[in-house]
Amino acid sequence: MNTLEVSNLKKTFRLSKKQQKIEKTNIKLKVAVNDLSFTAYPGEIFGLLGPNGAGKTTCLRAISTLIKPDEGDIIVGGSSVKNDSISVRGKIGFLTSELKLEDHFTPNYLYTYFSRLHGIEEEIIEERKIVFFEKFGIEEFKEVKVGDLSTGMKQKVSIAISLVHNPDFIIFDEPTNGLDVLTARSVMDYLIELKESGKTVILSTHILSVVDKLCDRVGIIINGKMKICDTLENVLKTSPNNDLEEIFFDLVKEEELSGGVN
Amino acid sequence: MKNVLTIFKKEFYRVMSDRRLVFTAILLPGLAIYVMYTFIGSAIGNEYEDITEHTMIIYTENMPAEIENFLDTQEINPEFYDYNSSNHEELEAQILAGEVDMLIIFSETFEDDVDNLIVSDILIYYNPGKKYSEYTFSVIANALHSYANVIGLDRYGDSYYAFTLDSEVIMDEEKAAGQGFAMLLPMLIIMFLFSGAMSIGPDSIAGEKERGTIATLLITPVKRSEIAIGKVLSLSVISMFSATSSFIGIMLSLPNLTSGSGGTLDVFIYGISDYIYLFAVLLATVLVIVGLISVISAYAKTIKEASMLILPFYFISMALGISTMFSGEASNDLWIYFTPIYSSVNMIIAILTFDISITAFIITISTSLVYVTIFIYILNKLFQSERIMFQK
Ligand SMILES: Nc1ncnc2c1ncn2[C@@H]1O[C@H](COP(=O)(O)OP(=O)(O)OP(=O)(O)O)[C@@H](O)[C@H]1O
Ligand SMILES: [Mg+2]
Repeated sequence: MNTLEVSNLKKTFRLSKKQQKIEKTNIKLKVAVNDLSFTAYPGEIFGLLGPNGAGKTTCLRAISTLIKPDEGDIIVGGSSVKNDSISVRGKIGFLTSELKLEDHFTPNYLYTYFSRLHGIEEEIIEERKIVFFEKFGIEEFKEVKVGDLSTGMKQKVSIAISLVHNPDFIIFDEPTNGLDVLTARSVMDYLIELKESGKTVILSTHILSVVDKLCDRVGIIINGKMKICDTLENVLKTSPNNDLEEIFFDLVKEEELSGGVN
Repeated sequence: MKNVLTIFKKEFYRVMSDRRLVFTAILLPGLAIYVMYTFIGSAIGNEYEDITEHTMIIYTENMPAEIENFLDTQEINPEFYDYNSSNHEELEAQILAGEVDMLIIFSETFEDDVDNLIVSDILIYYNPGKKYSEYTFSVIANALHSYANVIGLDRYGDSYYAFTLDSEVIMDEEKAAGQGFAMLLPMLIIMFLFSGAMSIGPDSIAGEKERGTIATLLITPVKRSEIAIGKVLSLSVISMFSATSSFIGIMLSLPNLTSGSGGTLDVFIYGISDYIYLFAVLLATVLVIVGLISVISAYAKTIKEASMLILPFYFISMALGISTMFSGEASNDLWIYFTPIYSSVNMIIAILTFDISITAFIITISTSLVYVTIFIYILNKLFQSERIMFQK
């Protein structure tokens, strides 16, 4: 089964001197993600919702095998990130929020480059490229250097590149960040398309409307801890007005009172 | 291996398709050195001409006509003025200021003294701090010495001489010429290898971290070691290009550099085998430098930080290049050939001065390979370290 199971994930970072200064703390260790568990299913979009610094990126990086869990494990389609990271990598497509493709290259070049690194045969590369570029409208600017593209175009190229190997699991960190409404909409439409084709999609965001429109399941993460995790429907039921914003603010307030949020 | 090639090609294409980078990393080193050397050469030449063609301004007192006639036979162009003792202080000030090149005072009875075998004193005022004055003194003093010899010979015949001096120059001209090259080349080669690698290494490795593309790269099934080798190889090839360009620049400009001062350095004193040795050493050096720069770039968080961290190593390497500049000879101490960079500096000198020891050569090449292997190993470890790759 193509489920993705995060169980009791914990990740602690050692803070550098500089970081301590920025966060105005002299604590040496920062628990970025604490005892986090959730499951994402194929044909669904799981939304990881949380404020800045909540631990979303950390969690997605752990799923993508870029960082190792201190405790707990993540099982991606039957493979553990701990002892089978290579096969996990083959199954996931990861889009980081801070990705800036190299200005000097064209979408066409980068698509082929990353496809080759994924070990995909040349014929298939070309086939997929045509489909992708057509769908995202990259075709017209595929020979234009990334540096000359707009933010929206760049993001489309980034998405195409993160999916060159047609992965079953799609991990997108803030995929609509900084995009105009139109581009954000086309990205969201594409995510729905992916889910409908049976992929397991996990995305992180701090934008409530994205969750509202897109997600089947939602996990609200604050200060590294999973505050609530259920189907969107069930989560909305916890508030009298079915208002996600209200639920979110209440959870943040609750965490502040317990002294967790700085 | 296929992945190494894919990464190599991409990094190579990155530089070669960027006209600005091709210019700054590859063409500029050669061009800069050509212009610099040619400029220095013509400056030296101009200076030499300027001094020899300068009209010497000489104040004289009681200068015998005979000496003036003698000086006229020399290849100099003096202009004589009469000295007036009431202006002495003013004249000294003029010599100090470089407006007058020399004051030469003969005793009133100079000619009689010479005839009567009385030792007469010639008093010369000059300023060694001024190039014309200094040159005037050396020429005039020389001329006076010759004149004294002529008189001595007249008086005593051959018995005037206590002895004569004959010398026969025994010199390996090629080695001497080689030492000329050896003075400057090691430092320049190290400098240009470094700056070539410095202009592209940080962008290629620290840049991936800064741009976040490292995550996209690390998520592919490519081994970290393949990434490391692919990057080091492409950086090395490009650095070799920039080394070659500096090399050509040096070769083309050396005639211009040396012709000015009257000397000649013939570039064609070296044989094929010397060039092969030199190439092998250059390649080994490039690998070490690129390995070092890659490791630093992988450690640094940003391109800027990487460039900063590389600088101290750059200066140390330059110092190693300069340290041998004045001896112009390679060290015989085998231990030196185990030291990275310094071994290359000495090896380059050894090759240029036809002093190559095969043992030292083998040690240099093999230790360099060991060093670059260590660097690639560290680079691989750094790529594996989540703390280094995703530090905040
Ligand atoms: N490599 C690291 N070293 C040290 N601290 C880190 C590291 N990565 C993340 N952190 C810290 O862990 C916490 C969680 O960070 P994370 O990036 O996962 O949050 P996020 O939910 O993605 O926030 P944002 O919305 O700002 O992207 C933050 O306090 C951050 O400073
Ligand atoms: Mg984040």
